[in-house]
Amino acid sequence: MTRWNKLAAVSVLFTSVVLAQDARQIIAESENRSRSKSQQYEGTLEVIGTSNKVSIKRWEYRRIGSFGASKAILRFTAPAEVKGVAVLIVNHTDRASDQWMWTPAIERDRRIAAQDRSTRFFGTDFSFEDLEERDVDQFDYRFAGEDTVDGAACWKIESKPRQSKSSQYTSSMVWVRKDYYVAAQIEAYSKDKLVRRIHYSDVQNVGGIWTPRNVEVFDANRKSRTVLKLEKLEYNVPMKDEDFTLEALRRG
Amino acid sequence: MILLKLISWPYVRQHLPRWLLTIAGIVLGVAVFVGIHTANQSVVYAFRQTVDHIAGSTQLQISAGETGFDENVLDRVQAVPEVRVAVPVIEAVVGTGVQGQGNLLILGVDMTGDRSLRDYDLESSDPNSSDDIDDPLVFLAQPDSLMITDTYARENHLGPGAKVPMSTMDGQKLFTIRGVMKSGGLTSAFGGNLAVMDVYAAQKVFGRGRKFDRIDLAVKDGASLQDVKVNLQALLGRGFQVQVPSARAQQFDSISRVYITTANVSSVFALFIGMFIIYNTFQIAVTQRRAEIGILRALGATRAQIRTLFLGESVVAGLFGSVLGLLAGIVIARGMTGYIGSLLGEIYGIAQKADEISTDPSLMTFAVVLGVITSVIAAIIPARSAAGVDPVQALQKGKYQQLSAGENRVRRMAALVVAIAAVACLLLERYRIFFYVGDALALLSALLLTPTLALLLARVLRPLLRWLRPVEGTLAADSLLQAPRRTSGAVAALMLSLALVIALGGMTRASYDSIYRWLTVALNPDLYVSPSQSLTQRDFRFPESMGAQLGAIPGVGEVQLVRDARTEIQGKPTMFVAADVADLRRHATLPPIAGNTEEMFRRAAQGKAVLASENFAMLRGFKLGDVVDIPSPSGMLHLPIAGIVTDYSDEQGSLLVDRSLYKRYWNDNTVNIFRIYLAPGAAEADVKRRILERFGNQRRLFVLTNREVRRYILRLTDQWFGITYVQIAVAVLVAMLGIVNTLTVSITDRRRELGVLQAVGGLRNQVRGTIWLEALAVGAVGLILGLAFGSLQLYYSLHNEAIDIAGVQLRYEYPYLVALWLVPGILFVAFLSAIWPAETAVRGSLVEALEYE
Repeated sequence: MTRWNKLAAVSVLFTSVVLAQDARQIIAESENRSRSKSQQYEGTLEVIGTSNKVSIKRWEYRRIGSFGASKAILRFTAPAEVKGVAVLIVNHTDRASDQWMWTPAIERDRRIAAQDRSTRFFGTDFSFEDLEERDVDQFDYRFAGEDTVDGAACWKIESKPRQSKSSQYTSSMVWVRKDYYVAAQIEAYSKDKLVRRIHYSDVQNVGGIWTPRNVEVFDANRKSRTVLKLEKLEYNVPMKDEDFTLEALRRG
Repeated sequence: MILLKLISWPYVRQHLPRWLLTIAGIVLGVAVFVGIHTANQSVVYAFRQTVDHIAGSTQLQISAGETGFDENVLDRVQAVPEVRVAVPVIEAVVGTGVQGQGNLLILGVDMTGDRSLRDYDLESSDPNSSDDIDDPLVFLAQPDSLMITDTYARENHLGPGAKVPMSTMDGQKLFTIRGVMKSGGLTSAFGGNLAVMDVYAAQKVFGRGRKFDRIDLAVKDGASLQDVKVNLQALLGRGFQVQVPSARAQQFDSISRVYITTANVSSVFALFIGMFIIYNTFQIAVTQRRAEIGILRALGATRAQIRTLFLGESVVAGLFGSVLGLLAGIVIARGMTGYIGSLLGEIYGIAQKADEISTDPSLMTFAVVLGVITSVIAAIIPARSAAGVDPVQALQKGKYQQLSAGENRVRRMAALVVAIAAVACLLLERYRIFFYVGDALALLSALLLTPTLALLLARVLRPLLRWLRPVEGTLAADSLLQAPRRTSGAVAALMLSLALVIALGGMTRASYDSIYRWLTVALNPDLYVSPSQSLTQRDFRFPESMGAQLGAIPGVGEVQLVRDARTEIQGKPTMFVAADVADLRRHATLPPIAGNTEEMFRRAAQGKAVLASENFAMLRGFKLGDVVDIPSPSGMLHLPIAGIVTDYSDEQGSLLVDRSLYKRYWNDNTVNIFRIYLAPGAAEADVKRRILERFGNQRRLFVLTNREVRRYILRLTDQWFGITYVQIAVAVLVAMLGIVNTLTVSITDRRRELGVLQAVGGLRNQVRGTIWLEALAVGAVGLILGLAFGSLQLYYSLHNEAIDIAGVQLRYEYPYLVALWLVPGILFVAFLSAIWPAETAVRGSLVEALEYE
């Protein structure tokens, strides 16, 4: 799933140890706890405009590989007009991911250029960049204090992309729950201006991994919201590498 | 200023109709100049606006002529570190089924990244929503998605969800509007007739395969645009053009150069002839006002003051005429802009939509200055004559100051010297400068000889006029003989106009003959299968596989696959034609202009040489055997010219290469046109019907018979020569003005003489007859000189056309038919010009006439 979602999928095992950790270690631990060989779910996406007009889409998500070096395919299943449209994401530990989109009606795949990652993901409040998984080492971290989100105690950690890495965000503030090592909230900034706020809720243990089943993105510029609900979530399901290639994307 | 008010103004008021006629020359000249230029500018401006608006914040554009290039070029460009954003673009103009709305410019873009360059400010179907498009995912997922401008939506009552019929490679399809763009920069491109679609859907719709037309890009903050341009050019090679967006507009200028040059000639010519009318009027005014001048001189006015007075009058006349011409020009431009726009679009296949005229203040100022300068130049000699008036002679009532025999002799000698110089230049005509100087000298020589020749011809005509009408004929001929200055300007204007008509007529005839010969001999396929009705439009393309499918249709004997596209050679857009040369050889019947037929086809078929059209070789200075550097997306091709052939496919010239070579270097196997030869015994109509039945429902295609293609090309040729007809009309109109002017002056001059004639019993009809015959005599003299000088001018025009305009050697053939039509035509025009002056003469008061002067 998304970078934010992965962070949120971390569970807490040894709370007592945490106090001694620095910000980077918290994030690394969060990443470790969400580690799985594969993941799949059915997502329901609700895009809520400023006038509360709601559009709903559904997709199937499958991921193989470990965090930062995984491959994922996201395939829309509803409504009928977008059925079959799919996105292949190949994450790299040392650089931005490669992404391709498949449009069945014209039987064409297209590469989503790195320069286009800041644009909105198909009218949702996510951006293409938000679909990426990024290695811990691609960012610098700073401990920014403690706070509570939805009544849960959290660490506040500021992350900044390292110079060599390109990101639309100049910094992000991550609230990591102390109990499960899952992100409770993320605020992403561009030059000190809030761009997106992502709120995670309904944290459940699925196959031993604590995962928020409800992700709400707020676009601060457009004042619109997108809610992603994860259903039929499973981890470590047997999957094959060859199902995560351009050919597989085209096969549908 | 005081002299102008006290002396000139009363004279102008007294002779208002004549002054109006005088400035009519300037009005006409400036009007044609402003009209044609403004219309041209409006078309170019419309194209520039479209380019600018579409470019958005694009800083550089990458293209490979019209051929397009592979998608992978985009990855290479995006990987350049200094490139902030690079997006693919496909552009095409398509017809829609929306009535009265004409064509729609389709901009195919990749919406996932294009917003970084272009501002798609969209209207929402929900007024309270900030969602800028109903559903971007649906827009991308459905290839029938279209975003239109609010102007187009409003005019056609269209909104989100509405369907728009549009031509595609697969025939007419319905497209769904999934976004309406608010008014702004982008939406005003192509007059608002703009629609945006997904670039990958556009590839499919327009049969582009996996190619893009262009990449638009912007560089990162702090990066030097010039450095990025140089780096990209080095990265991609010379087969690609890396240019700023405005360079596209310059290409338009370059492509339509021939048209613009032709149009310029019209306006300059109109002003040139107008100059003679002004000269004539001023010369006459000097003669008529000699008493006035004499008094002024007797009262102490210096020669310089008299000269300044006349030059001042010419400035005022020029200014007044120019302003009127300016207004008339704007009216002309309004009428012509749409015509020129569609003509250029059809001939050059360039998308623009010129509905509004754009007036350029610098052009307007230039036109006024040009009008005034023309007027002043025309008045220089009369002003000098005025300054030279002898006060004693001038004050002797009724005595005319005749042209001295000495002056005539000097002029004749000068004409002879100039003519010899012109002949000398003719011998050196291979040097452009000598050719043009020779042309100018020939013109000057003819003008210097005009008064002498006019006098000579008037003497020759005298017995004929006398034989026709003993009294009226004699009076008319004597009028010409006694006052040669009065008629020489009009005769010169008429001579120049008719020389132009002969030159244009001869050129048109020769061009038609050449084109027709090419059409009938070289363009010999029975049928043409094209994706557009206009053979110059290359937005849609067929897949190569269709060739075999066409070949399988009963009655089809042979199918030739042709791909043509404009690409840049030596920095100039050049038409590139790729076809199977061995196939072409089988049907080639026109001998080459240079080269051995067998040898040239063999080498070209092997991909070792190109065949160049005559105009390409002539305009670019290439000879047989010269090597042409042809940039392709896969690198430079260096091919020798194995043959120079007759081909009128493109005005700028064309190059023919073998299709296999084109496919290899351009990685493009699409087809623009299939040329079909029927199997023996097959009926053209049957095969056409079968092709339409086979593909009509699957593809957008037009099957044109050889006859239809010929008709189409001849129609385009006709439209092209439309500007020539304007030139001819202007020439005849100016000539008419010259005759009216001369006759009006003649009547005023001879008012007393005509009054005496009536007083001693002359009938009104006799006076009328005198003036009519005088007009016919002026017409006849101008006609003889014009037809003679026209033969020389035709030679210069044909040579000029060959070396600098069209690059085609046309046969010299005097247009006898045109000349034959001109004889009654000009005599009739001369007669028409005489009606009003004749009526003025017979209806005037006899008492006043006898008191005149």
